[in-house]
Amino acid sequence: MAQTRLGRAENRAGWAFVMPALVLVGIFMIYPILWSLWMSLQTGRGMTTSFGGLANIQRLFADPIFLTALSNTMIFLAIQVPIMIMLALVFAVMLNDPKTKFRGLFRTAIFLPAVTSLVAYSILFKSIFSNDGLATTIVTFFGGPEISWLGEPFWAKVVIILAITWRWTGYNMIFYLAALQNIDRSIYEAARIDGVPARAQFFRITIPMLKPVILFTTIISTIGTLQLFDEVQNITQGGPSNATLTLSQYIFNLTFRFMPSYGYAATVSYVIVVLVAVLSVIQFWIARDRK
Amino acid sequence: MSAGVRLEGLRKSYGAVEVIRGVDLDIEPQEFVVFVGPSGCGKSTLLRMIAGLEEITGGDLYIGERRMNDTDASRRGIAMVFQSYALYPHMTVRENMGFALKYAGVKKPEIKAQVDEAARILGLDQLMDRRPKDLSGGQRQRVAIGRAIVRHPEVFLFDEPLSNLDAELRVQMRIEIARLHSELKSTIVYVTHDQVEAMTLADKIVVLRDGRIEQVGTPLDLYDDPDNLFVAGFIGSPKMNFLPAELSGGALTLVEHGGQTVPLPPLGRAPQEGERVTLGIRPEHFRKEGSAALEVDVEIVENLGGETYVYARQAGSDVLTIATGGARGLRQGDRMTARFDPSDALLFNREGLRIR
Ligand SMILES: Nc1ncnc2c1ncn2[C@@H]1O[C@H](COP(=O)(O)OP(=O)(O)OP(=O)(O)O)[C@@H](O)[C@H]1O
Ligand SMILES: [Mg+2]
Repeated sequence: MAQTRLGRAENRAGWAFVMPALVLVGIFMIYPILWSLWMSLQTGRGMTTSFGGLANIQRLFADPIFLTALSNTMIFLAIQVPIMIMLALVFAVMLNDPKTKFRGLFRTAIFLPAVTSLVAYSILFKSIFSNDGLATTIVTFFGGPEISWLGEPFWAKVVIILAITWRWTGYNMIFYLAALQNIDRSIYEAARIDGVPARAQFFRITIPMLKPVILFTTIISTIGTLQLFDEVQNITQGGPSNATLTLSQYIFNLTFRFMPSYGYAATVSYVIVVLVAVLSVIQFWIARDRK
Repeated sequence: MSAGVRLEGLRKSYGAVEVIRGVDLDIEPQEFVVFVGPSGCGKSTLLRMIAGLEEITGGDLYIGERRMNDTDASRRGIAMVFQSYALYPHMTVRENMGFALKYAGVKKPEIKAQVDEAARILGLDQLMDRRPKDLSGGQRQRVAIGRAIVRHPEVFLFDEPLSNLDAELRVQMRIEIARLHSELKSTIVYVTHDQVEAMTLADKIVVLRDGRIEQVGTPLDLYDDPDNLFVAGFIGSPKMNFLPAELSGGALTLVEHGGQTVPLPPLGRAPQEGERVTLGIRPEHFRKEGSAALEVDVEIVENLGGETYVYARQAGSDVLTIATGGARGLRQGDRMTARFDPSDALLFNREGLRIR
């Protein structure tokens, strides 16, 4: 295509405008991504590394701590994400009902955890589930056994799931609420006149109409849970005996806690990338438009 | 199958605001009743009270012979068509129409038969597997009507079903609805603020204002014989002309039209000498002949081809609308004599009530 002089000048100006952003993206995103890919092929500790090819990948399968972290993460994912999505949906539908009283108050209360300080709420959860905390008091009051919440692998997982659900349900709910408020109210009025029961209205009208938003929040939550780090680090530090250790935490430990093993840590990072990609494809496939 | 509807002293308040203020109305089985009135007068609210979408604050609602005040919307034997169509966007046309039947306990083959029948009546056969987003506005409205038909309701309720369509489609759908009514023989309550829809579709028009009924009657009743200024001004397009007048010496002196006088329309009981009244003349009642004459100055001429509307006034008066069948030669600034037959004119007293 023949370039006019004006066209070239416009092109130069255009590049000049996007250059700063491109440079920053290049330095802080593209370069680290490529570099970590390269690193994942290196073995050795600290500064003494050598090219190891796929040795790190072999090491993954023989590494019991990695397998524990992977299975913990998958357990969190499989249990927490569905519970949170359902809960967020139910809250959203209830808060969207004009007959609900104090909607504004509840909406704020449910959303608030998403904007509270991580450290503050971690301390709160730690104290609630400490050996003489509120949770124990309540359970024993109703005649339950004294549980060492953060000391038993099973209950430690439960506490973590409770914590992230508490924190992120409101966040997801806001998406649903926004979507629900965009649905023409007369659709539900038509369903009501036509005698469609409330359950069917929820499952056959609301859910299908929210499908794109549900897909979006599911993928966002999946990614969030696969990268789970803050809550675990602050509440249980991965304990007891690695029962709540997550992949992100393991990466952190490999890099900063033990004698640094950058190459192997990069490989574990790519495990998360692959998991996110595979799970997203599966979710898109499940939610596809069937004709 | 169709039932009558009876409203007795129906009221509706939102908090302290009363929006329906005591409505009494009898709707016969198979009747096509149209609610008209200015925006905000309560047409939709009244319709939604019949549907069961709004609670009734006071009075009684009967559908058939049963009192329905506290009956759930789904058990009133009604079906409603909404202005926004309210189709389920994720379902095909077939699913949209058959969806509710499943929950009414209708068997699958029976659902298919009924949906196919409705599709045939509405000419939707070719579109059964499409989603609403792949349909035109008129087709969507047809699907919404189809969804109502398959339920075989006793009463159809329509809330401004055509107002999202363009002018041409509106005419087409209007004819379709009229045909549907004669085919299904069901009772229809229809809300619109479109004059023409009301005049052409209705067996009976109900004119509402501020939550009250102003007048009920056949379209021609309301056109020829309105009870008050509001109905006279509301029915008919372009609007009726209102001329302030005073009775003097057995004739009407038009106070704003330079004191010209016109003969008194034939009345059962003439008003008193000196009484202030309003003379109402429809634009189409001005003719070449007539014993009453008004001298006016032409301001604007609107040529619609078949019909010509002249907007004219006399210094200081309100604008008069005059329909003149053939007068194409008129121009702005011309002086014309608008004639009419006094027996076509209507008279209203100071309170706006008709003097007959
Ligand atoms: N939920 C509500 N709360 C308070 N006032 C309301 C509510 N719904 C309607 N109104 C009021 O009731 C009156 C009647 O409303 P309605 O919708 O029945 O009018 P309408 O005749 O259908 O008007 P339009 O031709 O614009 O559709 C209006 O003054 C409106 O402001
Ligand atoms: Mg309305």
